[in-house]
Parts: sequence; structure tokens; C-alpha cells
Amino acid sequence: MTVVRSGGFAGIDRRGESDTASDPVLRGLVDRVDLGRVPPPGRIPDQFVYEIDIDGRVATVGEAQLTGPLRELVHHVLDGSV
Amino acid sequence: MTGSGLPNPVKRVAWITVSCQRDLMRCTIVPPHMLERVARTDDPALRDMARRTLVLSATQRVERRTLPVATADPSEDFAPRRTVHDAATRQELPGKAVRSEGDGPTGDGVVDQSYDWLGVTFDYFEAVHRRNSIDGAGLSLVSTVHYGVDYANAFWNGEQMVYGDGDGTLFTGFTGPLDVTGHELVHGVTQYTANLEYFGQSGALNESMSDVFGSLIKQWHRGQTADEADWIIGEGLLAEGVSGVGLRSLKAPGTAYDDPRLGKDPQPGHMRDYVETYRDNGGVHINSGIPNRAFHLVATALGGHAWEKAGRIWYETLTGRAMSPNTGFAAFAAATIEAAGRLYGAASIETAAVKEAWDGVGVQR
Repeated sequence: MTVVRSGGFAGIDRRGESDTASDPVLRGLVDRVDLGRVPPPGRIPDQFVYEIDIDGRVATVGEAQLTGPLRELVHHVLDGSV
Repeated sequence: MTGSGLPNPVKRVAWITVSCQRDLMRCTIVPPHMLERVARTDDPALRDMARRTLVLSATQRVERRTLPVATADPSEDFAPRRTVHDAATRQELPGKAVRSEGDGPTGDGVVDQSYDWLGVTFDYFEAVHRRNSIDGAGLSLVSTVHYGVDYANAFWNGEQMVYGDGDGTLFTGFTGPLDVTGHELVHGVTQYTANLEYFGQSGALNESMSDVFGSLIKQWHRGQTADEADWIIGEGLLAEGVSGVGLRSLKAPGTAYDDPRLGKDPQPGHMRDYVETYRDNGGVHINSGIPNRAFHLVATALGGHAWEKAGRIWYETLTGRAMSPNTGFAAFAAATIEAAGRLYGAASIETAAVKEAWDGVGVQR
């Protein structure tokens, strides 16, 4: 799966990538997330926007709506790579 | 926005099931008609949230229409009402109030810097545009500092400013540069005036308003002319060792930084290089380079203090009747020419400079 963080005051993209096959923690998190039920990103000036791609299924979510296991998932993938 | 009684839009955004697999654009746009459809759904949770969002949007539209475009008595002295909160590295808003209007310094440099920059921004709008705060009616200025851990961002959430301390490796604290505070507060001004939709061209214009006036506030504070100013947004925000002078350049979009970790400043300065993307709300922080450069061209063509003529034309446009939430570059360009004509005459050098600037960045008008 990949996560691309865009927006923010700086407008600089940051990308992280991870594979559930080699990451049991990630596998556990993915099982708890339903991308079909994430809220829309909202229109908050300068907030971070996250594009989450799990096996070709894509959702875009704003930072203010990033909660629970989805939040853990996004930070796990982004912080694992610079 | 303390005391306004508006619900927090961050907490009240409707949860809507949207299939984003085929069409990414759909995920980031929730037009009222879609909300209205969801508001009639059988799912009670979805229905309630969609209805709350619709009510909120309607409230904001009414508020925008009824607010005065400040035409205050020329001798009236406006007074700011500032409150700085400390999130103490948590990500909860607004955090604990640590300095209110009239209080002395707290000893926390970040809190005190934020308080001072709110004051300078307020003073700029009073002195230059005779505007009483963000809404033209004395709205409280609220900021939260020390937001999150290593948090490298600042944003305007519809009610207040929020600042992180930066990660120390790539970014320093976001309360440091005056133009960051100016930029965020101007998102508030735009919200209460043109209310430019934060997506695509209108979103890039929204961003550009924040950069243009953020830079003007800094120039006014320093007493600089258009030729003396650096026209950089976020000077001092890049940590030591990062290759760049700031985050954006109004003078030369695309040249602010070029660093192995951050990449290269992606801003275009001409319509031929306009970037089509669904990320960043349709590239709002990228394509803002085009109207940013148009403003710089006007300011340097006219010379002197940029806020006196170029800034006045832009402010009259932003707060005038020609604007709507989905105004794009071409309509904005036409509106600036119209405003310049109204202020200085259709055959004036000022109006000619505005026309030439939009030609210079390839925007049809």
C-alpha cells in the first residue's frame, strides 16, 4: 500500500510505501480499515491531505478526519519511509 | 471566531461513502447536491451528519452575505482581541489559553511571537485597508501554538490559526515568520469575503491571496518598497542545512528551494506550465504561483510601496462584488482590471500595468 501526503502550508508531497506481506503490523491495521467508509477530505486551508492506496483501492482523506486505525495506518506507512 | 456560535467545521464534516476507485476527483468534491442526496438516505448516522453539514454551510453563506464590508469612520481606532492557546504538543483545539489581549509577555517565545504577529497583521489591515480584523467587524483572533509533536505545518481551520513547532530537521517553528501568520489570517479574510472554494483555480487564487497579503504585511512591517522586498514566503522556515530561501517566491515561482529531501519548488509562473493534479486540492499550493507572479509584476511596474497601489487593487477585487466562490484566473484577472479602472481610470498607467501583468503570465482576460 502507498500513502501520499499532499497540501500543508508548504505544499510539499511526502510518500510512503509498505507491503502487508512483509509487515504483520500493517496487515493487522489494514484489516481494521474500511476505505469505503472514510469521510471526504473537507476544504481546510493548508491542512494535510492523505491519499491512501491499498491494492488499487484509493481514498483521499483530510487530516481532520484522520482518526482511529486509519490514522495509525497512515503514520505507520509514512514514518516507515522518508 | 470565539463568540460567533458557529459549529466547528472540522468536527462537523459529513461522513459520506464515496467510491474513489475510478474517479479521484469525486473524493475531494462534495457539492451541496450530493450532501442533499445523502441527507435523504436511510442510514440515520449518514443522514444526520449530512444534514449538519448542510446547515453549517447555509449558516456560513448567510453570515457572509450579512457581514458589512467595513466602511468605518476614518477616525475610528480599531482594537484587536487576541488569544493565544497552548496545545502542549497534543492535537486538540484550541488548547489552554495562555495569553489574552493586554496580558504581558508569558516568557514562552513561541506564544509571545504569535501574539505579536497577530497584532502586526491586525494593524496592517487597519492602517492600509481600514479593515477591522478578519471579518471587518472586529472578530477575535485566536491561535494555537505547540500543536502536535514535530508538527511541520500551520493551517486555518475556519475559525482559528494552528501552528506546529516544526520537526527541527527540515522545518523550524511555524510561528517564526510573520508572513506565515499573515497567510493564515488572510485565509480568514478570504472566507469572509470572496469565499473562494479551496479547490482548483479558485483554490489557487485563495492560496495566492494569502501569499500576496502575507508578503505585503511583511513588507509593510519592514517599510520596504517593491524593489527592496524579497517576495519570499516562509523565509526562515527551512531548517539549517536545507537548500532553499523559503517555500515560495512570488517574484520567481519555482525557485524557492531545491533540496534532495524536499525536492524542487514545483510552482509555475505562467499558464503554459499550469499543473493539473488531484493532489493538494487540485494543486492549490502549486498553481498559486501564476497569480502570485502577476501581482509581483504589477507591484514592480508601479514601484514604491506595493500595498499602496497593487495591494489596493487586489484588496478591492477580493472584497468586491465581482467575486464568487468559483471565480477562476480569467475572471479574477478581469476583476482586477475593472478594479484598477475604477480606482485609477481605465486609461491609467495602473490599469495598463495590471493588463500587462496578466498577459505576462499568460492568463486570458
